[in-house]
Amino acid sequence: MDHIDTIRRFVVEEFLPDVSPESLAADYDLLAGGVIDSLGLLKVIAWLENRFGLAVDDIELEPDAFRSIAAISDFIVRVATPARSI
Amino acid sequence: MSARSLVENIVTNARRRPAAPALAWRGDTVGYGELLRMAGDARARIASLGLAEGAPVGVLAPKSPAAIALILACLLEHRPFLLPSVDLAERTLERLFEVAGCQAVLTADDPIGQASVLTSPRSRPEAITFMLTTSGSTGLPKVVPLTEGAVDRFTDWAGEAFGLGPDSAVLNFSPLNFDLCLLDVWATLKHGGCVVLVDPDRATSSGYLRSLLAEHGVTVVQAVPMFYQLIAGATDKAFPRVEHVVITGDSIAERCLAAIPGLFPRARLYNLYGCTETNDSLIHELDPAALPQGSVPLGEPLPGVDALVVDAGGAVLTGPGDGELFVHTPFQTTGYAPPTPNDRFTAHPAGAGDHTYFRTGDLVRREPDGSLMLLGRNDFHVKVRGVRTNLQEVERVLAGHDGIAEVAVVAVPDPIGGHRLHAELRRAQGEAGGAVNSLLLKEFCAGSLPRTAIPSTIRITDEPLPRTSTGKPDRQLLIRANTQKG
Repeated sequence: MDHIDTIRRFVVEEFLPDVSPESLAADYDLLAGGVIDSLGLLKVIAWLENRFGLAVDDIELEPDAFRSIAAISDFIVRVATPARSI
Repeated sequence: MSARSLVENIVTNARRRPAAPALAWRGDTVGYGELLRMAGDARARIASLGLAEGAPVGVLAPKSPAAIALILACLLEHRPFLLPSVDLAERTLERLFEVAGCQAVLTADDPIGQASVLTSPRSRPEAITFMLTTSGSTGLPKVVPLTEGAVDRFTDWAGEAFGLGPDSAVLNFSPLNFDLCLLDVWATLKHGGCVVLVDPDRATSSGYLRSLLAEHGVTVVQAVPMFYQLIAGATDKAFPRVEHVVITGDSIAERCLAAIPGLFPRARLYNLYGCTETNDSLIHELDPAALPQGSVPLGEPLPGVDALVVDAGGAVLTGPGDGELFVHTPFQTTGYAPPTPNDRFTAHPAGAGDHTYFRTGDLVRREPDGSLMLLGRNDFHVKVRGVRTNLQEVERVLAGHDGIAEVAVVAVPDPIGGHRLHAELRRAQGEAGGAVNSLLLKEFCAGSLPRTAIPSTIRITDEPLPRTSTGKPDRQLLIRANTQKG
């Protein structure tokens, strides 16, 4: 399963409170578009730790993993279920 | 006594101790011999371009050993090189390279050429070497050329001040285009130490930063407050091998400062103040057992530095008082290239001596004991995650959007980043105004501003902006209103 809607809600609430969630595409480049900066990245990581119980500190972090809502969703799936990752 | 040459020293280090580690990067180390060999390859690539002797080049390379070897190649060639931020918009980069007269732009992954024979480098103290840039938050950053002599003198001072030598392991947190690298990368290599490079892709991971400090036995740390905030966190881990901890001139949160002596129980602690134009100028050593409440003093001028406090009437204060800080340093630039009219380089305001001074734009107070305290800026500059950002320039960019009627950008204190930017704006009537939202505006900013200058929060209203009694946007009110949140 993916977490696209949950992540979209979080990103919009946290970084784009005046924007309607459906106007943010799952593949929109959040880093190039200036939505998430390095402080924003810390917020996203803290949220992932709380919401999904991921121990992000121990995980190899690449900014690419946070480039879009779809990428964050993939990241959660990959990290939460290592046995099923390819 | 003349300063020792940076590049001659690095070559000597490589000949005497080729296997000694020069760089630690992603779990590997690069020895001095290997680094010099990589620089030789890069020189061959530069030679194959057939450029005139002394013609400037651009170096556009994210942090890596190959990027450092490329810079070393330019040093060996005595070739001036512009080192801009790799995060600048493409158009800005093109214009910068043009302004600096770059004949070619080099990247770290150009094809490898044949290694050239290294001729013995000759020092040319008056020749231009590094060309750094100001962070100019929009339009064109200014090019800040440094002479070989200025870099040689600075790297000598840094070596002595922080006891740099073959046993030193120095953390490099900032990107390679920051002036801070003249200390943590280049002074370290001059004195035969090992530079522990923080991978920019992982620079916000506290676990990674802590493991770098521990695994590489780091002895010297220089970083912006954000770094200390990141490693403090919820941990009682300490790094007793660290001998010198340098915080750089930003304002640092009291809570963050208070955590430093526990993290580095055996370290001496300094506040180091400088500008890209002058390099480090003032230093204050803090007593870990008696940390200041409120702001940290800027301290005393470094050897050879002349610091003036100039009051609003243009008079140089000889005793205590408030005014703008002017500095002359042995490490300073020869002036912006090309020179800009009314720029900030000036003769002594009272005509004493023939030094050139840099007007820093920082308002300071000289205490009765002679030490200097930072009061604030006399313009609209703030530091956002270590990058000097001009709020008015961000406002100008946003005001250029059709959908915006008026805008104010303020810097809101942030415990981690130092400051974050908030934009408050009234939208224009009609279709263009109806369409604006923070997603579109952030994207609009990203087209011409560096990442650090894109407002973190944007509030769009149909109300006029709050004004002071003199009709200016009430920035203090906007700062207060946005500090409370989160």
